Amino acid sequence: MHTIKEFRKLLSPQVAVRHSSNTIKNTNLPSVFVNRNPRNLERMRIGYRPDGYHVEKPLKYNYWHKLFLSISTRHVTASINHFENGEVLKASTKEWCIKKYLYKGNDTAAYINLGRVLGMRCLQSGLTEISCDIEQLNPEGKIALFLKAVQDSGVQLKEPPQYKKPYPWDQHRPEKPWEIVE
Amino acid sequence: MSTCLLNVFKLTLNECSGSNFGPLVRHGHHLRGKPPGIAKSLKEKLSAANYKNPSIHYEVDIGLPPTRSSNKTLLQERITHVKAQRANPELEKLSRERKLLIDLDKSQQDWFATIGPKQIRQIAKHYGVFEHLFGDAYFEPQVPLRISYISGNLVHPVYFGNFLRPDDAQTKPQVTFDSDKDSLWSLVLTNPDGHFTDNEKEYVHWFVANIPGNTVANGETIVEYLQPFPPKGTGYHRFVFILYKQEKKLDLSKYCVNNSKQLLEARTFKTYDFYREMQDSITPAGLAFFQSDWSPSLKAFYHNVLEMKEPIYEYDFPPAYIRPQEWFPKKKPFNLYMDKYRDPKEINKEFLLRKLKNVHPFKAPPPVDPYPHVHKIDKSVPSWLQLEIQKSRLKWGRINDIE
Repeated sequence: MHTIKEFRKLLSPQVAVRHSSNTIKNTNLPSVFVNRNPRNLERMRIGYRPDGYHVEKPLKYNYWHKLFLSISTRHVTASINHFENGEVLKASTKEWCIKKYLYKGNDTAAYINLGRVLGMRCLQSGLTEISCDIEQLNPEGKIALFLKAVQDSGVQLKEPPQYKKPYPWDQHRPEKPWEIVE
Repeated sequence: MSTCLLNVFKLTLNECSGSNFGPLVRHGHHLRGKPPGIAKSLKEKLSAANYKNPSIHYEVDIGLPPTRSSNKTLLQERITHVKAQRANPELEKLSRERKLLIDLDKSQQDWFATIGPKQIRQIAKHYGVFEHLFGDAYFEPQVPLRISYISGNLVHPVYFGNFLRPDDAQTKPQVTFDSDKDSLWSLVLTNPDGHFTDNEKEYVHWFVANIPGNTVANGETIVEYLQPFPPKGTGYHRFVFILYKQEKKLDLSKYCVNNSKQLLEARTFKTYDFYREMQDSITPAGLAFFQSDWSPSLKAFYHNVLEMKEPIYEYDFPPAYIRPQEWFPKKKPFNLYMDKYRDPKEINKEFLLRKLKNVHPFKAPPPVDPYPHVHKIDKSVPSWLQLEIQKSRLKWGRINDIE
């Protein structure tokens, strides 16, 4: 049975980043190294991500980062949300730094430029893979062009699957994503 | 006839007595722990465990105050600008033809001047920068820091968490910020994730104090620049640049690092303690940070500069849960069940010995059979062993642990 402490270990990234080593022969180095970066495990694809049970209805928060788009009568706002921390990044045609150069806050040009600005901010903040389930009803429409602009700036609109350590009796051993060096 | 009737009567009487006096018991259902109304949910337990007392842990703004003109004049300026945009037929044409592409650099500059500091604080909080450097304090970086590493023809800028390889950051970067000539500044680059012995502490990679104006080259170098060196297997480390505004000229000889043999020990630093000591004379004004991962070129750096063996780490996954062993397990394959409770090292040794049996020290290994199931297995072999043979032919299961 899990106690509260063990759950905290699973859920809070600060505690979970534990590395052990037996290859070190540097006598003055301890064998456990703690990386405090809260985004490290997510980037290494081994961080906790709620995914529910296999027959359950898909969870509301089954992502690390996700793109949301909210449309009002005059403006468009795009935001990147984290499943624990909520909104972490935002770009909107309400912002003066975007509005200043636009003709209108919700025409097609506004959507395209919003996508470019959001893509730039994502890359600057190190969020390169973001999940997204925004429906594109019209492939030539505003939303499709917005998503295309985000992708063209270098952001992938799909998150990689979480790496789960295989059991010893499992059939295959999947590749460890952090061991692949370009 | 009479006996038959009597029997029937008796039977009905028995049924009645059963339904009247027997208690209603649902066999096979029993509650584990407290009932749902009383027991706490996981959410409640977690919030109780992570509870922070608001009278002790409240956020404190330690940054410079924002410089902004009055709201009324700002609003008037903006309204006239928007009206002029709306009356501009060229802009309208561009916008309607979907050819209006705004200048991202200009937009970024305006972003710094308006909503930028707030959003930088938001993303830095997401990366835990303030929590690990300043505890409960935070600041909105009012002075935009423009930092770029130059390697060859390539320029690698530093923003708010972008990725740079250690190879790109081998030499000290170019730093520019807006400042008047008389003010004094200090710039610190620290890594809060890389300390080998105490994870509450940091390594300082660069420290320049008493920078007059915005010429970093004229400042007093307290700690020389050292490139990022995240050890293999530990993932992405944050490297945080913080620009402090000084009230007066500071004497920071205490933090000086000579290039001695204990390079890492001398570079141990804690921003929290540093700021605590100096808080009357410095104010954090600028922030930029990047993330860096191990790269193969670091091996030489560890050997030549740090004069140590390159440490290699691996993530320590929580062990798989295996239920306690039973005397009489039902419907479990005996070999797989027993293997779960054996020492994995012993099992791996068995696999290794079996593999080495067919390995010749001088001859080349035999060619891999593309159709391993072509060879028939003798019918007299028990079915569990047939399965094991098939698994070893296809390299499924535990054999992967040794290969």
